Formats: sequence, structure tokens, C-alpha cells
Amino acid sequence: MTFRFTTGGRQFEMRRSPAAKLLPLHLIAAALALFSVSARAQAQPANLFEIGAQAIGVVTRESPAIHGRTLTEGYLTQPAIMAQLSPWGETLSLKTTLNFEGATLERGELNAGIAGEGYIDRRHPHTYLHELAATSAWRFGSDAVSGVSITAGKGFAPFGTDDPMARPFEKYPINHHLAQILERAVAIGALRAGRWIVEAGAFNGDEPTGAGDTPNRSRYWDSWSGRVTFVPWPQGEFQASYARLKSPENPSGGGADQRKQSASVRLEDAQRSGYALVEWERTSDYDRSTRTFTFNSLLAETSAKYDRLSGALRFERTDRPDEQRLTDEFRTAIPATDVSISGRSRWTIISARLAASLVDARSFTVEPFLEVARARMKPTFQPSGFDPRQFYGSDRIWSLSLGTKLMFGMSHMRMGRYGVAIAQKPHERMGGMNMEGM
Amino acid sequence: MRSAIVIASLLTLGCGSDNPVDPRGGGAGSVPLNLVGNGGVSERFTGEVWVSGSVAYTTTWGTRATAPGNAVKVWDVSSAVPTLVDSVIVPGATTLGDIQATDDGQLLIVATERTGGSIMIYSLADPVKPQLITQYSTPLTFPGVHTAEVQRVNGKLYAFLSIDPGVGSPARLVIVDISTPAAPVQVFTAVMGSPYVHDVFVRDGILFTALWNDGITIWDIGGVGGGSVANPIALGNVRTVGGDVHNVWWFHNATTGEKRYAFVGEEGFGSVGFSSSGDIHVVDVSNFATPREVAFYHLDGAGTHNFSVDEARGILYAAYYNGGVRAIDVKGDLSSCEAVNKSPDGRCDLAKMGRELAHGPDGVGPVYVWGVKLAGGDLYASDMLNGIWKLRTVPVAPD
Repeated sequence: MTFRFTTGGRQFEMRRSPAAKLLPLHLIAAALALFSVSARAQAQPANLFEIGAQAIGVVTRESPAIHGRTLTEGYLTQPAIMAQLSPWGETLSLKTTLNFEGATLERGELNAGIAGEGYIDRRHPHTYLHELAATSAWRFGSDAVSGVSITAGKGFAPFGTDDPMARPFEKYPINHHLAQILERAVAIGALRAGRWIVEAGAFNGDEPTGAGDTPNRSRYWDSWSGRVTFVPWPQGEFQASYARLKSPENPSGGGADQRKQSASVRLEDAQRSGYALVEWERTSDYDRSTRTFTFNSLLAETSAKYDRLSGALRFERTDRPDEQRLTDEFRTAIPATDVSISGRSRWTIISARLAASLVDARSFTVEPFLEVARARMKPTFQPSGFDPRQFYGSDRIWSLSLGTKLMFGMSHMRMGRYGVAIAQKPHERMGGMNMEGM
Repeated sequence: MRSAIVIASLLTLGCGSDNPVDPRGGGAGSVPLNLVGNGGVSERFTGEVWVSGSVAYTTTWGTRATAPGNAVKVWDVSSAVPTLVDSVIVPGATTLGDIQATDDGQLLIVATERTGGSIMIYSLADPVKPQLITQYSTPLTFPGVHTAEVQRVNGKLYAFLSIDPGVGSPARLVIVDISTPAAPVQVFTAVMGSPYVHDVFVRDGILFTALWNDGITIWDIGGVGGGSVANPIALGNVRTVGGDVHNVWWFHNATTGEKRYAFVGEEGFGSVGFSSSGDIHVVDVSNFATPREVAFYHLDGAGTHNFSVDEARGILYAAYYNGGVRAIDVKGDLSSCEAVNKSPDGRCDLAKMGRELAHGPDGVGPVYVWGVKLAGGDLYASDMLNGIWKLRTVPVAPD
């Protein structure tokens, strides 16, 4: 048996030795992938097995982080392995992402303004089983793009924009919980007709309560969302989506519900050297049928790549609920003790990033980066139970992050869509580690 | 173009404002409660209030600037202006949500949240210097004790603890025998509330539990049948309009002896200092098996919290957060009213009936009143923003 690889424009072959016949081929494939050997099948639009991995080592200095104090911390963040198995092409594919932040990021990562899943001003770790979804798709029509698909498993609800992990910045935008619904037990149907994509899905409303948490079975299918995407050109897409979530922050149910809206425009050139996203989100909390508080977000980000250098800019203005903090003041109670909040603050954050790909061969990328962010915040209610100036000691927070991103076969990955809802054409999918001919 | 229209349409969905109605003014015929004095607290948010003799105790909540809600403030209220005489710090606590002295004035019980959950039992041998006897905490008080109601049942002193839900631990009621304060003994526990049990009311061997979306449940703990503190027997339940049931007061009319009504506080959504919501619901409990809501009191732009009732004069004083304090006439038949004073579902609207007697504190800037307590002929109100207010009660009882 022969594998053919293409890496960095070079082609080569690898023959299977007699000794190797004693080992399962898929184990060999997985081992090869973990050792960052890159392979791409020739003239095959669908790949049997794809795998990739990434991790980021980063040091963040935030001033002031809390009560006028500057904090400097280091993390191994976003360590993840992603794989896709497609034994019958698009007829059946299985996609999984394992995320190890539960082991490396239990205290959370400094990220001024972010809130969710019991963390505040620190980004929470994601669940170990970030995504495990089976998709079956059927294409029709002469364009090889139109089709239908169904997806079931754990993953992203059809709502909002791509997961921040698949976007330019290491630091998450603070609208993460307004703009994505993830790590849910999902059942999704998608239809693509030419330039239009329509998705609808049902899922459990409860957010994870820890890295090892799984969707609450009693909450399956109590929430739903839908997304419409228009793809006028291969490099551009418009999406609008709506979701209704039951009691996301009270896992046993009975807490405040949410209604969410999202709209965005995303552009990326064919060479993937330029990218831009403008998104708007609104999440309203509901006590039964009464709307309580509304949180808006507007975000624009862009990145450009020139040879080995890349740069990115992000502007974000997001409303955040301020909730009662615990003894660890970077944590809030899950579930809250009632349906009230301490206040609502509006965060305006401008971020910039510079990065360089030092090694970019065989799908193995080493990318040192520098990110700078300036956040300004103010309460939107007066009087307020949370005054940012009093709490932080300033109404401005500076953040400086220096780190290195390691990637194996995960460049150009997008996260948050399945089956025919992936805007690219089928043969433009993830350029990762591919194994054929096994 | 079509896509732009679709997106623009979706963008406009759900637009609205969360600017609240200003609730500070009184209803028709409502007069300002006379302000006697204020004991200011600016470094922490003030929580509940209790008054025993000439000493008042206030708790603290959450984090204000850099100070956590870990302090019990001790006030001398013998003069017009409450004077701070001591602060008792509970190490590690972030909220002390509830406080109550025993009827003999010997003990002070404080509920702690998010420190693992506990009650602190203090000796009031010297009322201005509470001395810790014990901190009671068990795995069943995790993650926090939201309220601790202290009452005697058949002569024995009990604390009824409403426990917050946590991840994997639903809300529950824990009843503790504290007749030996140094060695509390749990006598009962049960999961209840959807998703919270926030408070209870105990009187004459009857227990009322405030169960949020599950309304109120009435239990016999020795008052009418075979129930006991260790074995409460459910008698009846009612889900009040709007849910969010936070607290209960079973009204015993001191003039008529009538025990017909329970007042139920609905704690709706709110933002500290800025807004609140939730009505007072009047439940006819003359038959414990079939309680039913017959009336309500609504205040535009504000919501209710804790109560204190002048049962001799038939006046309910209700904390109303950003609406201050409301004094409501609760004498007579609350279930009968003219059609014009009824809501579409047939309940009597006490505000439309002109039963709001007074409001306050007036003319003092923003307030966010958590609790009220009648003592010594005066009314004390704990204000999350401003500390403690001393007010005169309604001057003349209505006819």
C-alpha cells in the first residue's frame, strides 16, 4: 500500500513496510498526524481521514486586572485535536474536536470583560469533548454545491459566527456567549440551494458547568435556532440567525430564558491572505414571557497576511451583565441565586495583533505573536450595583499578550457549521492532514 | 438587495428599551413616611435588617468597589440617627443575606452564602458585641444559605435554612434544631423549589415555603395534624401569578383574629440600584388545602422584597427596592372589590383600590430598599445603597 503526499508543493510517496502490516493502518495514520507529517491526497475531493492539532503558549499582562492590581500570567491555551473521518465521503462523516483547556486552564485565562459559565474577566475552559458530530450530506444540482444534510451529536448550534478559536486573535472577543452557541447536544438540518443556505437545529439550552460536563439529558431539544446564509461570491457570506434558549445558566431549568439574534458579513479572499468580519448580536433575557435585560454587541475584525507576516485589528463594543462575584472574584455563581443582576456594563475594546510564521512546512506552523488590547468600560445603568471604575481602579484596561501558536494541519479551519452549511465548496474544505489510499 | 432586506428585518427584531418607569412617587392618597434618620453605609451594599430592642443589625451583600459582603453592622438606634457601634466580619463570606435575632434576644443568626454555605450563631449577651458561638455548615448547606428563619415550634428553637441550588445540587430546605446553639442538629431536609426555595414563614405549627416557580406550599409541622418539624406534611400549594415567589407572611389580624391571608412577595428581575420588578400577591389560605390568589399590589417600575406587618393596625410594610418602602392597608376583605378595581383575571388590585397608605423615604435620592422591620413603634429600612433608614410609621391607621 502506498501513500502519496503533497507538502509545500513537493510530492513524495511512503510505502508500507511488511512490519507495518502488523499494525492497524488507522493507528499509523493517527501517529503520523501527531508527529506533524502532512499529507494531501491527489485528485480526491473527499478525504477519508483528516487530523490536526494546535496549542498556544502565551503570557498575558493585564493592567489593572482587578482592584488596581496588574496581573501577569502564563497559559497553555486552546490545546486541541481535531479530526474528521469520512468513510463514505459526504454521505457520512464524523467530526470531533477534543479540547484540553480543562487540564491547562482551570483558573481561566485573563480576558478583560469576558463573562460566561461562572467565569468573569477570565475566559472559561471549554469542555474536553468540544465537538463530536456525525453528518450525512447529499448533493444535488449541477453546481455540486446545492444539497441537504443532517447532523447529530455534540457541537455548535446553527447560530451566529465562527468560533473565536478559528479566527485571527488569541484573546477571545467578549461577545463569545452572545455570538456562538456551542457544546450542546444538537440535531441540525441544513439545505443549500445555490447561494442560499438555511439551517435549523434543536439542542439543550443548558451551558456547560465544567470541562467534564456533558449536555443535561433532561434538557435535550428544549431550545432551537435557525440561520440563513447568503453566499453571493465564493469569498463572501452574509448570515442572519435567531435562537431561543431555555434557562442556559441554570442547568436544572427554571432560570431566565434567552432570545438571541445575530447578523454578520464575512469576507475572505481566495488566497486566504485577507479576511474581514463585521457582526452584530443581541441577546435578551426573559423571565417567563417578560423581557428583562438586553445585551448588544457590535464587532469588526480584519486580518491580512503578507508572506510570513500577518496583522489583525479588532473593534468590539459589547454589553455585559455584571453579576455577584464569589470569594474568587473572577468567578460568579452558577446558577445565580435569582434572576437579578448587579448591573450592565458596556465594553469598548480595540485589539491589534502582529504575528510571523517562523516555520510553515508540512502543515506544521510555528507562529509567534503579539497582541495588544485596550478596553474602556462604563455602566449603562445608573445607579449601578457594579461600577467598573471603582472595581478595577480605572475605567480603562490594557492587555499585552506575547505567545506562540503551534498548529499541525489546522490552517484555514472554520468552526461552527456542518454539512452543506459550510460555505465553501466541498473540495475547499479544511486543508489539514489527509490520508488516502488506506 | 433581497438579502439586505432580510438582514435588516432581522436586525430590527426584538428592539426595545430597558429604561424603567420612575417608581419613586406614591399612589393616589399615599403620604410620605416621616424620615427620622439615616445610618450611612457607603463601602458595602447593605442587605437585611433586624432590630432587637435599641440595637439594629444589618447585613451586607455582594461586592461594592473592593469590599465584599462579609460584614454585620451593629447600630444603636435609640436616638433619631442610627449610630454604627460595631462591625462583625465573617471571614471568607461574600454575602450575608439574612439575619434574625431570637424572640428572647439571646441569639443572632446570620446566613452566609457562597462560602460553602452556613449559619453563624452569635450570643447577644452583649447586644452590641455579638460573640460567635458556632458556625454551622454541612454538605447540605452547600453552596449557600439564602435565608435562615428562626422560630420556635412547640417551645423548641429551630432554624429553617433555604439552601441555594448549585451545580448538581438542587435547592433544598434544611431544618436545624438550635436549642443547643453550640451544637445544632439537623432534623429535616428535602429538595424543593423550582429552581429556588428562597424563604419560609413559620407560625402556629404551619410552615409556608416560597418555592419560586412552584409557588407556595403550606406544610403542617404540628399545627393541625400529624406533621412535625422532622416530618412536615404538605397541606396545599398555589402558584401565584408570575411565579418568582420569594417570601411569605401569614397575616394574623390582631383586631379580628382572622388568619385568612398570606402575603407573597414576587422577586422578579432587577438590576441593583436601578430597577426591580414583582408584585405582592394576596393568597386566601382559609383552607390550607385549596389556597387561592385573590388580590395583588403592583407598583410600576419597582418590585417587592421583604415584609414587616403591623398586625394590630393592619398595615403591610413592604420593601420595594428602587420604589423605597410602601405601606399598604390590608384590613378587611381583600378579595372583594368593584369591577373597575379588578384585573382581567378577577383579582383585586390593591393599588387601584387606594390601599397604598404611605411611601418613603422621600426626597433622599436613589434608594434600593432590601428589607423592613417594625420595632419600638418605628420602621427601619435597609437600603442597599445607603445603609439603614429610620422612619415613622403611618401616623393614623385608616378607618
